[in-house]
Amino acid sequence: MQGESVVNHMEKTASNPSDEQLVASFREGSAEAMEIIVERYGNRILRFGLKMCGHLQDAEDISQETFLSAFRYLDSFRGETRLINWLFKIASRACMRKRRKKKDEPDREISLDAWLPERPGDEGRSYQIPDPDAGPDAHLDRKEMKKVIGEAMRQLPPHYRIVLNLRDVEGFSTRETADILEISEQAIKTRLHRARLFMREKISEYFEEEAYG
Amino acid sequence: MNSECRTYFERISEFLDGELDRDLCAKIESHLQDCPECRECLESLRRTIELCRRMAEEEIDPGVLARLKRAVLEALNH
Ligand SMILES: [Zn+2]
Repeated sequence: MQGESVVNHMEKTASNPSDEQLVASFREGSAEAMEIIVERYGNRILRFGLKMCGHLQDAEDISQETFLSAFRYLDSFRGETRLINWLFKIASRACMRKRRKKKDEPDREISLDAWLPERPGDEGRSYQIPDPDAGPDAHLDRKEMKKVIGEAMRQLPPHYRIVLNLRDVEGFSTRETADILEISEQAIKTRLHRARLFMREKISEYFEEEAYG
Repeated sequence: MNSECRTYFERISEFLDGELDRDLCAKIESHLQDCPECRECLESLRRTIELCRRMAEEEIDPGVLARLKRAVLEALNH
């Protein structure tokens, strides 16, 4: 049985199995359970890897590493957190490891203070951020916007990028993100705030240039 | 921007995320009523977050997921 047919089959025969049921079946040696876990969460892990590393090949490596490691250590998974959180914990470590190995991406721990409004001359700075709810023909071209956001995200130092992705893209809470990255909730809040300010500045710069350039 | 604005500015992400206690929340809300700069700051940040959220959707080719599944299962069988 291959592709989506496994899930279809499970839906027809039994109700959609919960993560707990899948983990239990896996422990009993079910290969089908593994397939369903990859089908259920593979796209999210791939997307996360892609956002963190920027290349599909890296995203695939990270995702493979994540699921392999998950299945090897699934016996030690005690269910004190959701399966998806545990997968993201493994994936986050893989992303950070991969980045350290890379020679071409310097460890740019740039100061984000420059994006705080204390900067002289920033009094009353107004930002040009398109309204996400404006209609499609307002100056919000979806493809263009994706490109602007993607480029801005890539310029974020990885420690900030990973927090922005987990919190604002993947929707994990502050506490969950702190648990995934094994750092304090306060550190998550600080990094997230700065990452958002950085994104705002970059998006606004782009649309200011559009307007006046 | 006065010193009050600056104090609140540092907490504005937490304000948007609903992570502040009721007292501070009420203070910021009342400040927002009188301060157009902070309102603008809040709104531009809210839009930024919403755009990041929506634009992050990534269509991953179904072939990639199939390849991932195959690779994982093969590696585990060896
Ligand atoms: Zn103010």
